[in-house]
Amino acid sequence: MTVNEMMQNMPLTLVNKPKTVSRPINKLFASDLLSHVIGYAEEYDVLITVLNNINVLGVASLLDLSAVIFTHNAKIKPEIIERANDLDLPLFTTPLSTADIVQKIASLG
Amino acid sequence: MNPCLKKTTKHARIHKEFVIERNDIANAGTVASTTKRILKNEGFPSHFIKRVTIGVYEAEINVVIHSYGGTVIFDLNDDNVSLTFEDKGPGIEDIELAKAAGFSTASSYAIENGFGAGMGLPNIEAVSDEMHLTSSKEGTKLCMRFDIGDDHIDS
Repeated sequence: MTVNEMMQNMPLTLVNKPKTVSRPINKLFASDLLSHVIGYAEEYDVLITVLNNINVLGVASLLDLSAVIFTHNAKIKPEIIERANDLDLPLFTTPLSTADIVQKIASLG
Repeated sequence: MNPCLKKTTKHARIHKEFVIERNDIANAGTVASTTKRILKNEGFPSHFIKRVTIGVYEAEINVVIHSYGGTVIFDLNDDNVSLTFEDKGPGIEDIELAKAAGFSTASSYAIENGFGAGMGLPNIEAVSDEMHLTSSKEGTKLCMRFDIGDDHIDS
């Protein structure tokens, strides 16, 4: 599955303007602890989190993640959106909880 | 001699120095992303780059959230990458406890920013070939070595 296929079929809002949403998805990785993300997430994973701060982008960029989804309708600050554009990293918000969006995306197969 | 170096290297192939400011969470990760860029340019395989990047990021965050600020020395040597993080205190009270997974003394400020899970030192130990940590009230010195070994340049 690609990021594009995921966003077409899910209650996700793209909040920035990445050049591409065609990256492949390795797996979903849900965590609110950056040390767990940095230790265990892998290239092309999609990070699902309630953590709404600039360091999420630092970690996502270091690991070459494919996208980040902020759950519970997080309001994303302009500086985060700007940095994500620089990094060319797709950022999404969803009204769903972390558990619910994981379940929904996983059902796509 | 840096205890993380197997032998004294007179001239590093690439040598860089960085300054890390206390509580500068917005810029945390700069050393790690610069390290990643250098290693990528040098053609190292992605699994080696990931190992080094994880170690550097964790150590960098530790200096940001726990210390009064510090410096980092990065050396790309012929057979390893070595980094030394040195801060200005207040030091680690119990090093063995600090190395235990899940133990944390992080502030609520750090925790709100997604850090302070007590996984930093265990992560560094897991990814590096050698980690050496000394600490007093005047400061903490952490060095780590990543052997280039078999996982050298991508063919």
